[in-house]
Amino acid sequence: MNSKTPLITLLAGAVLGVGLLVASMLATPTAAPRYSATPARTPAAGVTASPSPAVPTPTARAVVNVPARADYAGEVRGGGASVAISIHGSQAIAYFCNGSVIEAWLKGTAAGGHLTMTGKNHAHLGAAYQRNRAAGHVTAHGVRYTFSAPVVHKPSGLYRAITIVRGAKIEAGWIVLPDGSQVGSLEPKANAARPSATRAPLLDVATGKARDGGTVLVARPISGVTGSGFGQQ
Amino acid sequence: MTAQAGASGPVPPRPAAAGVAKLLVPSVIGALVALALGVYGRLHHPTGIAVNIAGFSSPGAVKSWLATGAIVFAVVQVGSSLVMYGKVRRIPAPPWIAGLHRWSGRIAFLLAVPVAVHCLYALGFQHYSTRVLVHSLLGCAFFGAFTVKMLILPKPGLPSWLLPAFGALVFAVLTGVWFTSAYWFFSTFGIGR
Repeated sequence: MNSKTPLITLLAGAVLGVGLLVASMLATPTAAPRYSATPARTPAAGVTASPSPAVPTPTARAVVNVPARADYAGEVRGGGASVAISIHGSQAIAYFCNGSVIEAWLKGTAAGGHLTMTGKNHAHLGAAYQRNRAAGHVTAHGVRYTFSAPVVHKPSGLYRAITIVRGAKIEAGWIVLPDGSQVGSLEPKANAARPSATRAPLLDVATGKARDGGTVLVARPISGVTGSGFGQQ
Repeated sequence: MTAQAGASGPVPPRPAAAGVAKLLVPSVIGALVALALGVYGRLHHPTGIAVNIAGFSSPGAVKSWLATGAIVFAVVQVGSSLVMYGKVRRIPAPPWIAGLHRWSGRIAFLLAVPVAVHCLYALGFQHYSTRVLVHSLLGCAFFGAFTVKMLILPKPGLPSWLLPAFGALVFAVLTGVWFTSAYWFFSTFGIGR
């Protein structure tokens, strides 16, 4: 056997790899925003000044068939908690809760079928998403959960209500699952140093209202498909 | 380690020492390849995108199918090597078996390269779950192990079990890479383009 051929195989692989790397680098600047998207390039979640573009941002060839706008919701593996994810262009919002004390709001970026999101208290979510579902893991309150959530359509999905009553910020989130069941958590003092959550009152998805004692909470849907709840976080 | 390798230059070394040196240099190169890929994947900021093949629903689907193709050719690798070494009693080695082994290996390797480029460029070396960490480690290790196997392949005088052992290692690592990625992808999202 010619002693050079294994080396040629290695070099061919290296050349192919470098070639694809260079091609990827050339494709990147004109394509979808990077994970480290600068505010100038992308209206990052949290920047109120930049409204969401009316037209869907042109996606790269690489991601053309990954949904640019989608909503997912489902229970985590083993049950006991649910997660909802909304993707609107390169932005993503997620909520994780168990209908009681464990909950987390997360924000992050979506690109190329992958999500990376973070929230308060080291909450983290990493997932892959396709047209039909999003699957990955979410870490909240130091516990890691895995999930595989199907795509959902209105009225299923994510809802959020923020109200201020006598200086106390009340913040609630609901996840409405495809079967119509819902799970929600409420922070009666969301602006406290260490807010603690309780079970949220039942949300009427038709009216978007929930009654917490004497307070009426008005929830608005957070939907990647409609853009509702994005750009005003 | 480098001192030993350097010392084997002027003085004709003993056969055992020569064998070690013959294995040492490819092993160091292979380790550096694996390390370089891992370091690049960790330091380079993942872009989320890379060049892709048209006709598939997502980069994940493309990669899963390419990786599955690599696994299929890797199975051909194992089968053809068993026949070459006369381990399959009922099938005597046909004259074209070496060619089949070489080309199936080349194709498997070249199918794996674009997957690795996408992984490293778009996603990076990640550790956010056990599956992802194992995949990142094995993915880097695969190219290191394959490099070692290619480099020791033409070297005469090595123990005869070494090449099959490295072949088995490369196959085992690739199988681990596939199970932590393509298998997970297909079982999560369904088998589709």
